[in-house]
Amino acid sequence: MLKKFLYLQWKQFRRSSYFEAALAIKILMVLGILYFGGIAILAGVGGYFILRKAIPDVDPILSLNRFMIYWWLFDLLIRYFIQQVPVLNIKPLMIIPVKRNQVVKFLLGKTALSFFNILPLLFFVPFSIVLTVKGYNPLYVLSWFVGVLSIILFNNFAIFLINKTKTYFFIIIGAVSVLIALQYYGIFDITQYAAIFFHSLYTTPIFLIIPIGLAVGLCYANYKYYMDNFYIDGAVSKKTEKVQSLDLNFVDRFGKTAPFLKNDIKMILRNARPKQVLIMSFFFLFYGLIFYTQEIYREMPAVLAFASMFVTGGFLLSFGQLVPSWDSEYYKLMMSQNIPYREYLKSKLILMIFAVSVSTVLSLPYLYFGWDIYKLILAGASFNIGLNSFITLYGGALNRVPVELNVKAKAFQNTNGFNVTQLLISIPKIIGPMVIFYIPYYFIDFDAGIIILALSGLLGLIFQNQFLNIIENLYQKQKYQTIAAFGEKK
Amino acid sequence: MISISNISKSYNSVEVLNVENIEIPKGQNFGLVGNNGAGKTTLFSLLLDLIKPTTGEITSGEIVVSKSEDWKPFTSAFIDESFLIGYLTPEEYFYFIGELRGVSKPDVDEMLAEFEDFFHGEILSQKKYLRDLSKGNQKKVGIVAALIGTPEVIILDEPFANLDPTTQIRLKKIISDLTQQKQTTVLISSHDLMHVTDVCKRIVVLEKGKVVKDIATTQETLKELEEYFSQ
Repeated sequence: MLKKFLYLQWKQFRRSSYFEAALAIKILMVLGILYFGGIAILAGVGGYFILRKAIPDVDPILSLNRFMIYWWLFDLLIRYFIQQVPVLNIKPLMIIPVKRNQVVKFLLGKTALSFFNILPLLFFVPFSIVLTVKGYNPLYVLSWFVGVLSIILFNNFAIFLINKTKTYFFIIIGAVSVLIALQYYGIFDITQYAAIFFHSLYTTPIFLIIPIGLAVGLCYANYKYYMDNFYIDGAVSKKTEKVQSLDLNFVDRFGKTAPFLKNDIKMILRNARPKQVLIMSFFFLFYGLIFYTQEIYREMPAVLAFASMFVTGGFLLSFGQLVPSWDSEYYKLMMSQNIPYREYLKSKLILMIFAVSVSTVLSLPYLYFGWDIYKLILAGASFNIGLNSFITLYGGALNRVPVELNVKAKAFQNTNGFNVTQLLISIPKIIGPMVIFYIPYYFIDFDAGIIILALSGLLGLIFQNQFLNIIENLYQKQKYQTIAAFGEKK
Repeated sequence: MISISNISKSYNSVEVLNVENIEIPKGQNFGLVGNNGAGKTTLFSLLLDLIKPTTGEITSGEIVVSKSEDWKPFTSAFIDESFLIGYLTPEEYFYFIGELRGVSKPDVDEMLAEFEDFFHGEILSQKKYLRDLSKGNQKKVGIVAALIGTPEVIILDEPFANLDPTTQIRLKKIISDLTQQKQTTVLISSHDLMHVTDVCKRIVVLEKGKVVKDIATTQETLKELEEYFSQ
């Protein structure tokens, strides 16, 4: 039986969209996997030495154990966003003569091999090996490693239960932010206490009982849940959501664009995928922290200009690149109705501009890094509103990837939308603000760079109609191709 | 109203449809019958300019559908679920279509009231999104939405499939009324020979992309069709 399951699994894997993808994407994905895997392995091998150097007086394993609590919480968060519950595949197996406990066991076993479990192992295995080589007691290292492995599996099984409610997600997010804040201001340092637990896995192997027990317990809870709900109205069923009624009458002031705008707002609020984009774009706000905090980038204002564009452009870029894909599920309807492309596009534009404006306000705390930085953010926002919006919409029209609205994006799924045209279209998005800023900066000064970057946004306002015409023509030109592409099975 | 001339569609040089000439006068109730793969949906998609014809053209109300979009205001259709917006409630969907076709909210409400029987209390104010409705109920929504704004041409692909018997009978009445009262041209396809002969004044049989029969419906038509399909 197991052999048959594995055979099905192999077919599913071989025939998944990853392999059906074009060669360029395959290469890119392999590179991506090698890159992340490579980084994890390198960090695992070098981790010991880096920690010894960074915190010289403390035993590296003790230093690592201090940060494990954050690794644990972030792992849960990332899994919540991306890891899928593999239930839906049960349905065809329900009525064939296979014992249901075999099916459930296989499903649960399969999840243990998920990408999210393998990635941390790529770090922890080499790290443990280095520890052993460096003369740590192999038995204790093994005990610690088994503890970590149990925690990984714990997360793996926990996420399937957590995934059913949003409350847990906000609890985790809240916990992470509070803990970081408390530690930052020196009020309460959770890492010290957490370190005791993680370190005891190393010093006192008897503590292994806790993580192993938790992992086994959760595995059993999952097993029981799926056994009890092995019916099409149980675990496999899609939940019928309660309707959120929205009062969107205030949108009517947008005139002819209003019907589309109302639809788009509902689309974003009522579907899993666009909600994911919404949350992701919130994280873009923190992009600046990577660049503004480091001295080297202070000398490279062109890079800062690029970062500033990203701070306010998160939603614009990630939402805009999938216009019109967002409407792919009912594109035939749109194309057989009397839809003015202009109003349709304007509705998306309004949303994107609104998001940039909100992000600009939300990025006010960046004033902490000085007025110059905030001026850059403002100029970046202007570039986003005026130019980037049109470039992104143009790129989106070339995208033609069907989007399943109410299904979360899987890991690497974004690469589905990747092709050479996308690459070309992303060049002006990334290089654009850098060049527009750098040339006047180089020849005149910093403020000139900012003024020119901000003025570039005005271009969009002035040539709005021309830009919209170009995009409209593109929509019309590839109408049949787009309908066909959106009609394909995902 | 609609004139189909020399239309053909090929995929990778395999011809799936080749229709020499069909003239559909205004107000006709036109039925399309054929086995799976006969080209029914392809013909409807060509009528709605959702796919590009390999040769020939279709004129609807003097407008060549693949050249201009001016046929859209007087045409409506329900082909499959991709004509529904899953995250809207039925009401929101009707209002949205209404807005696109220039019909105000109160007018949409008034029209929906006429279809209370047809909905059978399972559509309106159910607080459910369209994606959570059953296939049959989704179909009811799609069909009624296609009637909003008194279009002159209505295209329905297999409207009877997935509907319960009561609704099928009600739908037949709705379709018959449409052509009698309002001079509307209705095009439907169906696998159900009985329903299609009941409702349509003219039936065209497609086989492997070609017109093999073009019948004005009489008492004998059902028998004739049954004989044809049992060969």
